[in-house]
Amino acid sequence: MRYQETGGLHLDFHGATNTTIDYVADKYGVEALRDIFFKVGRDVYKDIREHLARGDAAELVKHWHHFLDREGADYSVETTADGARLTMRQCPAVRHVKTLGLKLSGHFCEQTEHVNRGLCDGTGFEIVTERAGEGSCVQTLRRRAHHDPQ
Amino acid sequence: MIPSDHFTRFYNEVFKFLASQGEVDLQAYWLTISAHQERHCLELFKTKGLQGMKEYWDKIAVEENCGLECVVYEDYFEARMSRCPSLTKAMDNDAGLMPRYCDHCPGWVVPLLEKAGFFPVFDVKSRTEPACEFRVYKTQEALLRHEGRR
Repeated sequence: MRYQETGGLHLDFHGATNTTIDYVADKYGVEALRDIFFKVGRDVYKDIREHLARGDAAELVKHWHHFLDREGADYSVETTADGARLTMRQCPAVRHVKTLGLKLSGHFCEQTEHVNRGLCDGTGFEIVTERAGEGSCVQTLRRRAHHDPQ
Repeated sequence: MIPSDHFTRFYNEVFKFLASQGEVDLQAYWLTISAHQERHCLELFKTKGLQGMKEYWDKIAVEENCGLECVVYEDYFEARMSRCPSLTKAMDNDAGLMPRYCDHCPGWVVPLLEKAGFFPVFDVKSRTEPACEFRVYKTQEALLRHEGRR
C-alpha cells in the first residue's frame, strides 16, 4: 500500500474535518467542498486509482481494512463478482465527532462519497455509496456498465 | 471516511483551494481552526499555563507520532520538533505539497495562545524540512529578554 501508517492515532482530526466541511460549504458552496474531496480521491490516492484503472481492486480493499481496523470501525468487507462491498455499521469518524460533542455536519458523509468518486475517476469502476442511517452505509465497488478508457 | 491518519493530506488540499481564493481566505480559515481548537486546549492553557502546554503537546506527540521534545522553563515553554508528522505526510503525498503548508501551525496556534494570555514566537526554519521550534513566554518582558539574546 502507498500509505500505511502505524503507531498512535489522533482521532480529533475528525472534529477538524467536520469544522472544515461546514466552513467550506458555508463560505464557498457545497460544490467547492465536493471538488476538494474529489481531488483527495483522485490525487492523494493516485496509487489506488491506478490499481483500479488496471482492474485491480485489491489495493482499495487493503486500504479499507488497514485504516478501518486502526480506527476500530464496526464493518465488514465482502468480495463480489465484479468488485467488493464495504458495510459500515459504525463509522469511527462519525462516532468521534459525536464524542467531541460537535454537531455533525449535514455534509459529513460527502467526504466518503466524493473521495470515492475521485478514486474511481477514469477507471472501469464506480463506488455506489448508500447511506443507511447515521454512521452507517454500504459502499459497493463495481464495474461500470460502460467505460471508455482515458 | 478520510482516515484520521490522512487528515493532513486533506488539509493540504484545502489549503490549495483557499490559496487559490486569496491570502485573506487562508488566514480566515486558520482562525476558524484556531477557534475550533479552543475546545481542546484553551482552558488547559489558561488554568495550567506552561505546564498545560506541555501536557497538551506531550499528548499530541504520542497520538501523532511526532519527534517532539517539550520543556517548561521558569518563564517560557519550548517545543522542539525534530520530526513533524504533519509536514512529513503532506510531503509524502502523490497530490504534492502546498508550499506554505507549515504556515497553518502558527496560523492557529498563535491566536489561541494569545487569547490565553501568552506570547508565542515561532521559528518554522524551513517549509520543506519537518523540523521547527516555538517558544511561549509568560510575559512580554520575558519574550524581549530572551529573544533579544537569540
